[in-house]
Formats: sequence, C-alpha cells, structure tokens
Amino acid sequence: MKYAFKAMGGPCVFRIKARSEHIAYHHAQAAHEEVLRLERRYSRYREDSITSTINASAGKNSVSIDEETYRLLNYADTAFKVSGGLFDLTSGVLRRCWDFRSQTLPNQDEVERTLTRVGWAGVRFSKDEVFLPDIGMEIDFGGVVKEYAVDAALALLKKRKVEGALVDLAGDIGAFSNGFGTPWDIGIKHPRSPEKAVATVQLANSALASSGDYERCIVIGDRRYSHILNPKTGWPTNNAPLAVSILAPNCLVAGSSATIAMLMHSSAARAWLSELGIPWLLVDSDLNTYGTLAGI
Amino acid sequence: MKNSLFVLSIIALTGCQTVEPWERGILAKEEMQWQASTMEARFRQQMFNSKEASSGTSGAAGGGCGCN
Amino acid sequence: MGSNTLDKAKSPALAALLSSAVLLPAYQSAEADAPPESTEIGFRYGKYQEDTVAGSDTLSGQKSERYDIDVAQFSLIAPVGDSWSVGLTGQWESMSGASPWFSLYGADGQQKVIMSGASIEDRRAEYGVEARYFHDEGNVGFNYVNSEEDDYHSDSVGADASLNSADGLRTYTLALSASVDKITPTQGVAPTNTLKADKDIHSIWVGVSQIINDRSIFNLGLGYTQRQGYLTDPYKYRDNRPDNREELVLSGGYRHFFDDQNGALQTDYRYFIDSWDVESHTLELAWVQNLNNDIQVTPFVRGYNQSQANFYSDVAVDTGGYYSDDHRLSSYSAVSFGLRLKKNFGPWRVSATAERYESAEGRWRYSQVPNKALVDFWGYSLGFTYNF
Repeated sequence: MKYAFKAMGGPCVFRIKARSEHIAYHHAQAAHEEVLRLERRYSRYREDSITSTINASAGKNSVSIDEETYRLLNYADTAFKVSGGLFDLTSGVLRRCWDFRSQTLPNQDEVERTLTRVGWAGVRFSKDEVFLPDIGMEIDFGGVVKEYAVDAALALLKKRKVEGALVDLAGDIGAFSNGFGTPWDIGIKHPRSPEKAVATVQLANSALASSGDYERCIVIGDRRYSHILNPKTGWPTNNAPLAVSILAPNCLVAGSSATIAMLMHSSAARAWLSELGIPWLLVDSDLNTYGTLAGI
Repeated sequence: MKNSLFVLSIIALTGCQTVEPWERGILAKEEMQWQASTMEARFRQQMFNSKEASSGTSGAAGGGCGCN
Repeated sequence: MGSNTLDKAKSPALAALLSSAVLLPAYQSAEADAPPESTEIGFRYGKYQEDTVAGSDTLSGQKSERYDIDVAQFSLIAPVGDSWSVGLTGQWESMSGASPWFSLYGADGQQKVIMSGASIEDRRAEYGVEARYFHDEGNVGFNYVNSEEDDYHSDSVGADASLNSADGLRTYTLALSASVDKITPTQGVAPTNTLKADKDIHSIWVGVSQIINDRSIFNLGLGYTQRQGYLTDPYKYRDNRPDNREELVLSGGYRHFFDDQNGALQTDYRYFIDSWDVESHTLELAWVQNLNNDIQVTPFVRGYNQSQANFYSDVAVDTGGYYSDDHRLSSYSAVSFGLRLKKNFGPWRVSATAERYESAEGRWRYSQVPNKALVDFWGYSLGFTYNF
C-alpha cells in the first residue's frame, strides 16, 4: 500500500507490503512517527530542537547530547575527513550571504566574514556533549538527517517484519524486498526534464540518494552558481556537477557521498566516485552523463 | 520412520543458506507460520484428542477436560 | 546486474563512512523479539457433529444419535508497553447426545455397541490467561488455564521460553506444563466407575525451528507427558485402566512458499508412542492458495493411524487386570479432509472451515478388526479476528 505525507521539506511516500492493507497502514504510521521524531529533533527551524539549542549556545557553553546525536556528529566527522574538508555541517551559515531568488551574487566581504564562522575542525564533541567555539557558528544537520531518516524508517519497518518496504523522503530512497524478495525498480529523474528517467536502478536492500541543484541556482550570463556551497571558499565550486545519484547500502552514506561529489569539479568528482566503488551517476553542466548507472 | 526423520532433518539443516533479515519478508506471511489461527487450532486439536488415543502437537500438554 | 550491485571490495573512504554509519541506533540489530504491534480480539463458533451409529451395530438394533458439541471461543492478545503482551482466552461448550457405554457380542457373533441414553445437555467453561515477556533474544510466557464442567474440574499452569540464534535463523523452544484434574462423575441411570477421583498431568516439550532459505522453514519437536491418577473412563461399564501413562511425541513440520503459484505448502507429521502400547502416526498436508481481493483458500487433508492399547479388546471382560473396550484405544486409521476460507476486510479477518473425518476400516498395518463404535464426524467453524 502507498502512504503519502509531507516532511523533510518535500513529498514523502512509503510503499509497504504486509499481510493486509490495514497492518501495512499501522506500520506506515509508526514509520511516519519516526520520521517526524527526527525532524522535530534536528530541524533548525524548531526552537525545541537540539540543533537550535546547540546553535544558541555557540561560543558560550557546551550542550549535552544523546547517543544518536553523538553518532551523527561522529559520522559527520568521518565524512569531513574522507572528503578532505568538503563535507562540513557548519557551512549552513553561508546561506545568509546568498539570495538565490534575487539572482544576484553576494558581497565578497560578507562572504569572508561569514566564512570565519565556518569550520568543522573547531567543533568539540564527545559522547556526552558538543561545543561550538565561536558565537555565530551553526550546526545544520540538514546534510545528514533526511538520509538518516530514510534509514531509520526502513529499519523500523524491517524490525516489524513487513514483507517489503520502500521509503522515499523527498527524493532520497531506501528499500528492501518488493514483496517476493524481488527488488524495487526506481528511475532517476533527468535534472532538466523531470518526467524523463536518466537511469533506472534496482533496490534490493539498498538506498539511492541524489543531490542536484536543478531547482535552486543563480545563472548569470552563461555561468551557473549552484546552491551547494563549498565550506572552504563560501562559493559554489567551479564546474561542479549538475546532479549526482549514488546507490549505497544505506541512505546516509549514499547522501553524503552525493553531497561531497557535488562540491568537486565534475572531473574530480568522477574520479572520486569511481574510486569509491559503488554505483554512481553524474550529470555535468553540459548535460553529459557519466557513471556506472548511466545508460541503464 | 524415526531414522528417516532424523536423516531428513540433517539434510535440511546442512542445506541452510544465510537469509538476511530484509530477505525474510515471505517468511513473515501468515501461511508460513507454524500455527495460523490459535482458536481454530485449539478447536481441531480438541476434536482429535477426544476421539483418538494420541495427543500433543507443539508445546506442552496443557490442561485437561472431561472431553468425550 | 553488474553495475547495479554493490562490490565486495570497498575503497577506504567508503569503508570509513560505512563503519561510522553502522554505529547509529537505526542500524543496530533489527532482530530483537517484540510483542505484537496491535491488539487482536477474536471470536469463533464451532460445531462438532458425529454420524449416527447404524442400527446394525447396536445391540438394540436401533440406530442412535451420537455426540454433538457447540463451541464458542474468545481470544484477546494485547501488547503492554514495549516488552510485554497479555492474552485472555475463553471457551464455552455445550454437549449433548449419546456415547458408547459398553459392547457385547450379539447373536451373530459380531460386536454390538450399547449406547448410553441421550444425556442431558452438559456444559463446559474454560478460561485462560497468559503473560509474555519479550527480550532481545526471544520471549518467555506463563499461562494458567481453568476448565469447569459439572463432572470435571481442571487447573493447569504452563511456562514456555523461546530463544533465537544469533543469526536469527533458528529458534529453540522449551515448554512445561502441569495440571491437576478432579473428576466427580454425574450419577445417572447407570452407576459410574468412581464417585470422585484425581488425575495429574505433567508435560515437557522441546522444539527447534530453522529457516532453510528465504522460502522455506522446518521444525522438529520432542515431547514427554506423564499422566497419573484415575485414568479409567468413569462412564464406561467395563473399564479399568492403569493409573499411570507415559507418552512420547516426535514431530516435524515444513513450510514452503511458491512464488509462481502465490501459495504455500504446509506439512506436519507426528509420531506418538506411550506406555499402554498405543503407537500412532499423523500426517497433515495443506495447500494455502492466495487469491485476489485478500481471499485465501486452503484445502487440507489429514491421515491418522493408531495401534491398540495393550489392554484393549472390542468386548471388555473383567479379567482382574486392566481392560477397556473404548473404541478410542482400538487399532484403526482415519482420514479427514477439509477446506478453509479466509478473507480480510480492513482490520477484520474472517475465516470459515469445514472438515470431514472418517475412520477407515482395515487398511493400515495396525488394523485388526475395527471397533464398531468408531466415529465419523463433521467439524465446522466460523470466526473472525479484529485488530486495533
């Protein structure tokens, strides 16, 4: 059965195969509750979220955290190292300089000032607490929580022994078993023509995450400025890919790898992705497609 | 009869594959359980136990009744 | 499928990300045992109807009606908190009809059955309560059942435990039960064999269930039961049984799901042997066929065959030792076949079953001369469960 709702900034769908529609609906509700729990806990828009608490205490005091938050910070730290500093959960503050709706570029001085508040390397955290050293620093779990929620919802459904499930949270997808143990067939949307599929993949017990700037960017002349900002410069990377999709054992890894690839030059991204060793797809600004998933 | 049951069980156990938790969807179906409806199973077992000399299926014997 | 599958060899970057991710709560063990997610309540009505005894088999030459039982069942299972579940069951029966009292040889040298006169309606009420605790590796349950009739009172307790293997592919089960029964036979036209008697039953069961592959499972079980006390049938004219009976049960079961047919094959076998020399085999086969619209049709068949108790004879004679002419201790075989239908209506699940049981005559190796009182019957039941 299909269960649709809105969360994590977009339309979400669960597809669940269980003994009966009624039982599937029960499970869908529980998984929905889990997604909302994570949204409430980590959304920077909510005053009662741990994110808001951490950000309000930046430069002042450390904030105590639970096991789940510690592990997410730990994961973000691993991604930071693995990406050579490109994956940085403190880069969210840069959005203040950029107005993608106005189609104007930011003031360089402002970018440089804001950049002083970016720096994952300065974040201190342990099993019990986290501390942002400077006032104005912010952590934004947005780079991990949506993908983690896909995995958490799927884990909950697996635990409830449903016959099969697919979790789609605003485009990040995880799935296992389409009822008879067969995989789910998913199409990856073409960045410029969403009704076309640029590739199809099969999800057996894996996840597909995509990162792309086809919706939000600034175009000036023939140059495109992606909304995915490099934490080292405060600007989008030159010649960054248009869209990246990755198939991985879980959505968290798929999503962060896609984000990291979007922060590299297209050619560097292609090399990094093929070195990573999992199925990938990259569309560059000239609409060329590359990767092991291309052409399927 | 007892020997063949023993041999059959050894064959079955050695032929086992690893089944990952996410691959067990089919095994969760009602028709793949050992006992689907407990009420109906109890009704049938009581019918048979009352008319035959044998009793016992899975689980310990449980209580008695004057069932004739 | 090559480029779509995940390679075994991982780059260091990927390995680092995966091992960091796997520490998060969402990726921790998905296999902990858990109580049911919703509460289920169920009702079922069943009817058991024996065929009449032919006039040619009774001493009076008159045919006789036999036993008729109406059964109403109730069941409730509810999760309590994160680790517990509680269950309640109730069963009410109303029985009427005649049953074999004893047998004699007729003028033609054949066994003739004398039936008890049609009795007044008897009632039985049974209540059971169960509590179950779920933990990471399995679950533990405790139950108490009480059964009351005018002439029979039973109290029983039981405990069982299930343990899952680390890979979740195997489950071990242990069950124990003990019951104390008190018999106070109703005095009627004919005297009964006792006025008041006791009986104790102790039982233990061990079983293992194994997942063979993603479409099949298999189980093996071993059970031992000991009955002590008054085991004679108080309503039979000539019946004297040992005050001890030990029973051993060996069982095996198999389930296989067929994708193409969208159905499952279920088979169960039981071997029984006891200290009265009764030995039996039971084999059940069922095919569960899933159809559109949430409908399930299951034809099934059951074959049964038993050898006689060492003190049985078709006409009982008081030899000073043990004796009984109860047809249920004779050597015979029986086949039953039936059909079960199930359908979902949202949170409701309705099922109906009809089964026909016939005691076959003289076919299997244990059969000698079949007892004329062997019974054929119909069993019907209709019930529903509701989840909320």
